[in-house]
Amino acid sequence: MPSGDLGLVVRGLSVAYAGVPAVRGVDLDVPAGHAIGLIGPNGAGKSSTLLAIMGAIPHQGTVEVNGADVDGLAPEKVVRRGISLVPEGRHVFTALSVKDNLRLGAVGRRSQEGAADTLDYVLGLFPILAEFRDRPAGLLSGGQQQQLAIGRALMADPDILMLDEPSLGLSPTAVDTVFDALATIRSAGKAVLVVEQRAEFTVAFCERTYVLHDGTITVTLKPEDASNVDVLTKAYFG
Amino acid sequence: MNQLIQSLVDALSAGATLGLAALAIGLVFGVIRLANFAQGEIITASGYSIIFTWQLGWYVAIPIAILIGVILSLLMELGVFSRMRTATPATLLVASFGLSFLLQRVYELLFSNNVQTAPVASELAQSVDVGGIRIQLLSVATIVIAGVILVALIQFLNKSIWGLQLQAAAADFRTARLVGIPASRVIGLSFALSGILAAAVAFVSTVQTGAVGPTFGVPIVILALIGAVIGGIDKIYGALAGGFLVGFATSMLASWLPSDMSNFRDAYVFLLVIIVLIIRPSGLLVRGGTVRT
Repeated sequence: MPSGDLGLVVRGLSVAYAGVPAVRGVDLDVPAGHAIGLIGPNGAGKSSTLLAIMGAIPHQGTVEVNGADVDGLAPEKVVRRGISLVPEGRHVFTALSVKDNLRLGAVGRRSQEGAADTLDYVLGLFPILAEFRDRPAGLLSGGQQQQLAIGRALMADPDILMLDEPSLGLSPTAVDTVFDALATIRSAGKAVLVVEQRAEFTVAFCERTYVLHDGTITVTLKPEDASNVDVLTKAYFG
Repeated sequence: MNQLIQSLVDALSAGATLGLAALAIGLVFGVIRLANFAQGEIITASGYSIIFTWQLGWYVAIPIAILIGVILSLLMELGVFSRMRTATPATLLVASFGLSFLLQRVYELLFSNNVQTAPVASELAQSVDVGGIRIQLLSVATIVIAGVILVALIQFLNKSIWGLQLQAAAADFRTARLVGIPASRVIGLSFALSGILAAAVAFVSTVQTGAVGPTFGVPIVILALIGAVIGGIDKIYGALAGGFLVGFATSMLASWLPSDMSNFRDAYVFLLVIIVLIIRPSGLLVRGGTVRT
């Protein structure tokens, strides 16, 4: 898909828990070959937005992947339409080996053809996974588990990769490794939607960053805003 | 010495049987948080099947028992539990109680309240001499059967992509779906495997008793549930080990308790269970031993 095509289009996305709104009419555009950020304080509705896009929680609004409506599909079917989520807290299968976690990632592929090439790509992106391929995922460090979680998501060969707080709990070096990989994934033409708490870092990395407050997008920031503390502070804290 | 070895072999045999039954419960619980009390009625159905078809030969009776176990297990899932996906584990447990009692009444209607009997594998009901020690052939056969099934199941779970999907779903069902693992596939697989395990338990138990009644599977499933809970019901291998421990302890108590105390055997087992659950509420084999939140 050429850069600039709309990979993920979300319109009027709303989520409520027991009648209490958590996400209110969010619109998002995540074009192929772009990284789009979604930042905001705790409880702003960032994770709920990603889970709703995946069909994992009840919601209203429309979600289109490559022009196809995926609304109402179960999460495993959404994955087969070309969108993968790296969940907050990584959630690798700790009792299983690195290799088996990656095998499971390939279950969500639209076609098993090319799975071996994708595995080579993932192991090239994260060489540590090749080194520890027989090690139980639970024995990896936090940074290594994050690489595994991203690699597992990539095994489904998604057009759109969504990540929920990929830097959470990681050392600065591990964060650099993760975001270097995300830059490579973006340059390969995939759309990347990254939810983060680290505002400055995210705004600088992404072509466009949405700021979410109380379930509503209040501001859209560009990379040049990353160095403007006043703009960031106002956008983040209102 | 002779008695000690015989009681150890018997205890291993009882542990292996209950380990299989608890594993069946753990497989389903891991995926949909259902502690399926009606697993006992799947064991009963396979038991009836063995009794009624044994005369046709073991090579007919055993596959039919497996088929009936799998079909009834899948019917339970499709007919009842798949319609309760948003229910809490407590509600699911109560539903499984209801299903269990309903099926017991159905068995009464179909086969009467009396036990049905057949000489199932009666050649196993003899002792063999091993190094001067008499050991019941049935106990050895049970250990071998359970061992073969366990090895095959562990190979399936660890090597096949379907087994890995089942393990992933049992460990973290929501993440498994987000990875792309189809919920219906792993749920169906867990029920099918629990049906196969029920047939295995039914075979071993039917050989021991030669008789099956409407509540044939109930005492087995009660002990298996207890075993699964004390081992850690949300860990597949925890449930297996817990079932084994309960079966082993029950058999050893039966062998070694003084005769005037043997009537209280189950009371000792349950006392042990209460102590274990007070100390480690999440199960013996779950790291940390804390309550799942």
